[in-house]
Amino acid sequence: MRWIFRKAALSLFTLFCAITINFFLYRMMPGNPVDMMIQQFLALGYSYEEALTRVSMALSFVPTAPLHEQYVSFLKGVLTGNLGYSIWLATPVATILGYGIPWTVFSVSISLVISFLLGIVLGMHMAYRRGSIIDKVLSFYSSITTAMPQNILGFFMIWVFAIQLKWLPASGPYSGVDPRVFNLDFVISVLRHAVLPILTYVLTTVGGWILTMKSSTISVLGEYYVTAAEARGLKDRRIVTAYVGRNAMLPLFTRFAIALGFMFGGVLLIENLFLYPGIGRFLNQAVYARDYPLISGLFLITAVAVVAANFMADLLYSRLDPRIRFE
Amino acid sequence: MSSAAGGKEVLLSIRGLTVEFRVPRGILRAVDNLDLDVYSDEVLGLVGESGCGKSVLAHTILRIVDPNGRIASGKIIFGGRDILSMSKEELRRFRWKEIAIVFQGAFNSFNPVMRIFEHMVDTTLAHDENAKKDEILKRSKELMRMVRLDPEAVLERYPHELSGGMKQRAVAAMAMLLDPKLLILDEPFSALDVLTQKFFLKTLVDIRRETKKSMIFITHDLAQVAEIADRVAVMYGGVIVEAASVEDIFYRPRHPYTRALLKAVPSIVGSVDELKPLPGPLPDPVNPPPGCEFHPRCPHRVEICSRVRPNLERVDDVSLVACHRWRELN
Ligand SMILES: Nc1ncnc2c1ncn2[C@@H]1O[C@H](COP(=O)(O)OP(=O)(O)OP(=O)(O)O)[C@@H](O)[C@H]1O
Ligand SMILES: [Mg+2]
Repeated sequence: MRWIFRKAALSLFTLFCAITINFFLYRMMPGNPVDMMIQQFLALGYSYEEALTRVSMALSFVPTAPLHEQYVSFLKGVLTGNLGYSIWLATPVATILGYGIPWTVFSVSISLVISFLLGIVLGMHMAYRRGSIIDKVLSFYSSITTAMPQNILGFFMIWVFAIQLKWLPASGPYSGVDPRVFNLDFVISVLRHAVLPILTYVLTTVGGWILTMKSSTISVLGEYYVTAAEARGLKDRRIVTAYVGRNAMLPLFTRFAIALGFMFGGVLLIENLFLYPGIGRFLNQAVYARDYPLISGLFLITAVAVVAANFMADLLYSRLDPRIRFE
Repeated sequence: MSSAAGGKEVLLSIRGLTVEFRVPRGILRAVDNLDLDVYSDEVLGLVGESGCGKSVLAHTILRIVDPNGRIASGKIIFGGRDILSMSKEELRRFRWKEIAIVFQGAFNSFNPVMRIFEHMVDTTLAHDENAKKDEILKRSKELMRMVRLDPEAVLERYPHELSGGMKQRAVAAMAMLLDPKLLILDEPFSALDVLTQKFFLKTLVDIRRETKKSMIFITHDLAQVAEIADRVAVMYGGVIVEAASVEDIFYRPRHPYTRALLKAVPSIVGSVDELKPLPGPLPDPVNPPPGCEFHPRCPHRVEICSRVRPNLERVDDVSLVACHRWRELN
């Protein structure tokens, strides 16, 4: 139990460091984003004082105060959920995050789980049937799709399923329903709109899972304990699941945690192509608009996700592999 | 082949067994047209230099062959059935129930994410779906005590929490779980220090005395054989070159290779100055010499040895030897 607390404390410390470094890096660079914001307002014809007031309103700190004071009020802001105002959208950054996070979490977690499970099943199958047609086809598929940009496949999906076949909507999170009324129509619309982004994500990432699972399974198949289980007359199904599968999956959980942690940054191309209002979509826009408070907030949420995913991976991994259980 | 020899009943009968592996250089014959009988209620010691094919033979008895290998020919008869022509499901039910094996790398035999007891449960359930957990637990504890392990300290542990020696003993216990008719032990002490070896060997001798179980005990340590075996088969280059009672092997060896092997061992017979390493290397299993496999290293070779492979001839009720000159050399 104690090591869990130690891990949690370490995670929080990591997060703190990431936020701190991020703050100082930007504040201390010449031509830093805060100065740029002031320049932007000056260019619009505001006086220097007015520009400064506007920027101070957008940020959770006063840019002319001494650096350590800025830092303290920035930290206070993070802790109280005051992440400043988006300049581009004139909305609190926290509100934007609150709007974008659910869409990304919803679509990416479904995609990730599907991709992960498919990869495990197919990768294991290929390891058992090395050299079969399925193995060859999927190996080829995996090596081309892992190198393919997601928006190219996405374009193709839109062209086939939305434009030619007209089976599915091409973009947006939902359409023709009132988002304030949570009913079956709304759910169906949301699901239909999520199909193409999810499909694109799965088709471009499943190859990576397949190849990792295949090589992991092959190495487990060479282990003594698998032969030993066969010698004891265990049934094939038991050996495949409890002996081979269970052990071959272990290294994939680390990858899974990493993918989970990078979910907000990893779907930029897909969310922008499908005009899906998740974090990736806002990140893209924020960068174009040089919306520093929003970029900073998006960075914060990404850092939280990475650290949290790592922490969960540690907990989960210790459940799955008794060799790294500390009790 | 289940006829009695010397009044004993044949338990396992291997005839003309050939096992080949595909290697980059060609075809490697690890077991070459081998004949061997194992009798009921005996411990057969199987000895020979490293690489002579002992492990391959042991694995093949349970029809376990590496993916690059195949059983090219032969019969392995056990209880009237040919193991090599069993269906997959028959084979599965046969394994461990009739013949169990402790592998040479036995300490790697456990699934790292499962407790020792779960292995016992898995193994029992694979052969008896209705087995009760508390009965398996009772049996497991009994077996752990038999191999001098503390059941409480071992059964609920994960493999990595045990020492190599504890794991080897736990595997030996697991091998007796279903009370098989034949137990194959392939260098069961390989990873142990000398003291632990001695202790474990004594344990095995005790178990043997208590259970009367038939065993094939594989080793290259003749001293261990002397302690546990009733009969010894000497293997060289993928074939059995001599099989005889322990006394005969040690005091009346007939095959020149057996003699050379004994000379290479200290402490059994002769003094240290007589100790000689075996001259020359093992035959290359990809390009074996023609005729007798041992002739390039044999001090007694004559012309025929390099042309004709000697058959395994019956010397008496128990003894067999494969040498053209065994009569004159005695
Ligand atoms: N999968 C394989 N592929 C190629 N060659 C193999 C394979 N398995 C065994 N061999 C070869 O078969 C021969 C016999 O090997 P085996 O393991 O039976 O020797 P051994 O008598 O048990 O030796 P040791 O006493 O060292 O355990 C060796 O030449 C070995 O290299
Ligand atoms: Mg061996």
